Amino acid sequence: MGTLETGPVLSLAGVSKTYEGAEKPALDKVSFSVKPGEFFSILGPSGSGKTTILRTVAGFERPDKGEIVMAGEVVNAVPAFKRDVRTVFQSYALFPHLTVRENVEYPLRMRGEPKASRQKKAEEALALVELSAFSARLPHQLSGGQRQRAALARSIVSRPKLLLLDEPLAALDLRLRQQMQHTLVALQKELGIAFMYVTHDQGEALSMSDRVVVLHEGKIAQLATPREIYFAPENEFVSRFVGRSNLIAVDFKSEGNSFVGTVDGTTIPGLVSQRGGAARMAIRYEAVQIKPIRDVMPPQDALQGTVDDVLFLGTNCEVNVRCGAGLHVIGTVPTSREMTFFKGQPVQVGFDLEHTQVFYG
Amino acid sequence: MADSLAPAMDTAIGTLRKRFSLKLSLSSIPVLAWLVLIVLLPNLLLIGTSFLKSSAGVMLFEPSLANYARIWNSVGFWVLLGRTLSFSFIACVVATVIAYPLAFYVGRVVRQHKTLFTILVVIPLWISLLMRIFAWRVILGQSGVLNAFLVSSGILDGPSDAFLYSPSSVVIVFAYISVPFIFISTMGAFEKIPRDLIEASQDSGATALQTFIHVIWPLTRRNLAIGFSLAFLVTVGDFVTPAMIGGIDGTTLGVVVSTQFGFANNWPYGAAVAVALMLSVAVLLGIIIALTPSRGVMVGGEAEHSTEPPAASSRWGRRLGATGYAAGLAYLYAPLAIIVLFSFNAPNLQTFPLEGLTLQWYRELVQDQSLLEAAQRSVIVAVCVVSVSVTVGTSFALIIHYARLKGARFYEMAFALPIATPGVVLGIEMVLGTELFGIPSGITRIVFGQMSFVMPVTLLLLLVRLRRLDPSLMEASLDLGANRWQSFAYVLFPIIRGTIVASAFLGLTLSADDVMVTLFLSGGSPTLPIWVFNQMRFGFTPSVNAVFSILLIACLLVVTVAHWRTTRKAAKAPG
Repeated sequence: MGTLETGPVLSLAGVSKTYEGAEKPALDKVSFSVKPGEFFSILGPSGSGKTTILRTVAGFERPDKGEIVMAGEVVNAVPAFKRDVRTVFQSYALFPHLTVRENVEYPLRMRGEPKASRQKKAEEALALVELSAFSARLPHQLSGGQRQRAALARSIVSRPKLLLLDEPLAALDLRLRQQMQHTLVALQKELGIAFMYVTHDQGEALSMSDRVVVLHEGKIAQLATPREIYFAPENEFVSRFVGRSNLIAVDFKSEGNSFVGTVDGTTIPGLVSQRGGAARMAIRYEAVQIKPIRDVMPPQDALQGTVDDVLFLGTNCEVNVRCGAGLHVIGTVPTSREMTFFKGQPVQVGFDLEHTQVFYG
Repeated sequence: MADSLAPAMDTAIGTLRKRFSLKLSLSSIPVLAWLVLIVLLPNLLLIGTSFLKSSAGVMLFEPSLANYARIWNSVGFWVLLGRTLSFSFIACVVATVIAYPLAFYVGRVVRQHKTLFTILVVIPLWISLLMRIFAWRVILGQSGVLNAFLVSSGILDGPSDAFLYSPSSVVIVFAYISVPFIFISTMGAFEKIPRDLIEASQDSGATALQTFIHVIWPLTRRNLAIGFSLAFLVTVGDFVTPAMIGGIDGTTLGVVVSTQFGFANNWPYGAAVAVALMLSVAVLLGIIIALTPSRGVMVGGEAEHSTEPPAASSRWGRRLGATGYAAGLAYLYAPLAIIVLFSFNAPNLQTFPLEGLTLQWYRELVQDQSLLEAAQRSVIVAVCVVSVSVTVGTSFALIIHYARLKGARFYEMAFALPIATPGVVLGIEMVLGTELFGIPSGITRIVFGQMSFVMPVTLLLLLVRLRRLDPSLMEASLDLGANRWQSFAYVLFPIIRGTIVASAFLGLTLSADDVMVTLFLSGGSPTLPIWVFNQMRFGFTPSVNAVFSILLIACLLVVTVAHWRTTRKAAKAPG
């Protein structure tokens, strides 16, 4: 996706919104831009404000402060039906009394397109989502996945510059969800429409997006590419929300002119910092190394513990190790036929410090 | 009543097209027995009677088409039929113009106290029909409130007699009666449209008007048609209103039928007129339903979001809506308020300004022996009707829902039939039915007659409630080791108790308020509304105002207590 030389399709500048009767703001000075043709995801737990962003962009809510700019113009006061954005609703919001084709034709009909061109465009859109055979059905005669695709066809038929998707896969089962992820990405590349995709599922956000913004309590926690978000979370919230991480209490003690981290009284070699005191270290399951203790005298500088339980996940095993009072470390190890961990087994735990983030305070 | 009827009738319309097969099982026997005795038999009797002859008030058991020939050749009949249908039709159109926007406002704009807004519009349904008619007589009469106002404000030189005893007065009152029916039926449809659909339409570039034409209207027109039909049926079967305020030009077929079963005493002819009226009404309503097709089914995922606050609308629209709603309420309540005011008015005349406060009319009530007897009779009838109806209605609902009777929709439709039968027709059907079994007129007859429409109301309300229940609740209870009886006592009953109580209250008001059916059955022992009706026929007594005021306050108390109970329960419930 090369960035074109035109401006962003959408910019939010310091957008704040507090709902009537609510104490906390739903959005707190949120700013970002979406580039033309970009797959942009908004990721956050429920209540983080991601749906509010989507509704303000679509025109269903008005921001209290800040500006929403589309195609160079502030659109704060422009009603939803005059904005060049389309939404795929979480509930699909297909009109129950119209057939699939009538649903898809709806936006064209509203702007007064003649019937022939309406039909042609609707057929094309339905073909794109492989729903041509179902165009005469009513929504309640479709399966969940088909309804989803019908809603998609309806929102792309008028070729908007920006498409908003509100957790469109949430109601589908796992297999269909994975299949639809591929469909969505392919469709987005083919149409060149910018997608703004709202989800609470980090897997969806990471797998499909060009960029992801992580929201936390109405504020942007991080805005970066999926890789950056995954490997270099900027704060504790992002590291906890994205991927599967251990958060381990670390104490940094002065040693020479830097500080060395100790976990549960054991010094971890290589874990150094410029700042002393208590902190927390985020480390992903796959960056934890677990080895059985075979020697009678284990090395002094390795964390030791006993296996509490083992989950067999197919390609990997998740091993939960108890290292002293209240400290649990989970690591993934590749599954092999011959060797496995068992409950009560003494192990030593090592950390792949390259992918570790340390947070103070 | 109307809101539970609407889905029932709608599905019934769908069921008619499909074939259904009835399987006779043990549990369906009582249900079938009721249908045969209280629904099928009276209808057959009515049709049968219409083919008999009558001579000097005595029925002759000779099959003949004489009555129908008489109807066919009578110019008067066709004039009256046209008048009857057009009165109800125009009234329902007027009521739609008022009720549809009201329903839109309450269903889609109001955010807080929605239940209260709804109840306020529906309350007039609970208030004595006689009181509502009487109130309009007071307003429209020659020395009435309207004339007094027009004369004192200089618009008219002298009081006009054009308002009362005219077709327009009948239409006004019919419209007044119809508003709550149309409101409650359409309100449900407005409420059920998920916010997402409206937003999806805006998102697709539709203006507010386009959204209305292409989304809101197609999704609400069927419910409007059902409310319209209900109101039509109620008004077309109402012979009291035309008789009391219609004058000569305001007479309807309902009045003709009632007189044939009254002093004209020609039952076969009355039955034939009733059958002809029913057929015409069925054709007309069939056309209305066909003109308002409903397509598609709201899918679960979409309906889920309907509880969210409706889409924000402009402040200007909100104010306009609130003003309109207030005007609607004023239209509904002003006539009632006038009656209450006059009940404290000293002179014997129904004119403003009021002259001196008095409790005289209330004192007279307590001393009137015949009134007290009538009131006592009303209480006995209501208690019998409600207790039988609630017991039977609840058990029938359980049988229909849980015994998985085939053609459950058919049963529903069959039970709804007496509710949908115009009052005057149901009344004479019940006369024929009770006559056949030799049940003497008086309290017993009234109880049977009223049960015919109170029981179905209970049944339908409970069926709607049972359908909304999570089916796995009963399965969970059985799974946890409770037997069927225990599951009913500990799980089902506590959940549906609220609905049972509500239906009992509704039945109570329906029974205590009924004139249409009861008038034919009471003979020499009137219930309270019949007593009032007789008083009003034989001229005016101010004590009628006092009776109405007491009934109104009692009714308001019942509704307030019921509303307070449900809101308190809702407040207690977590989440």
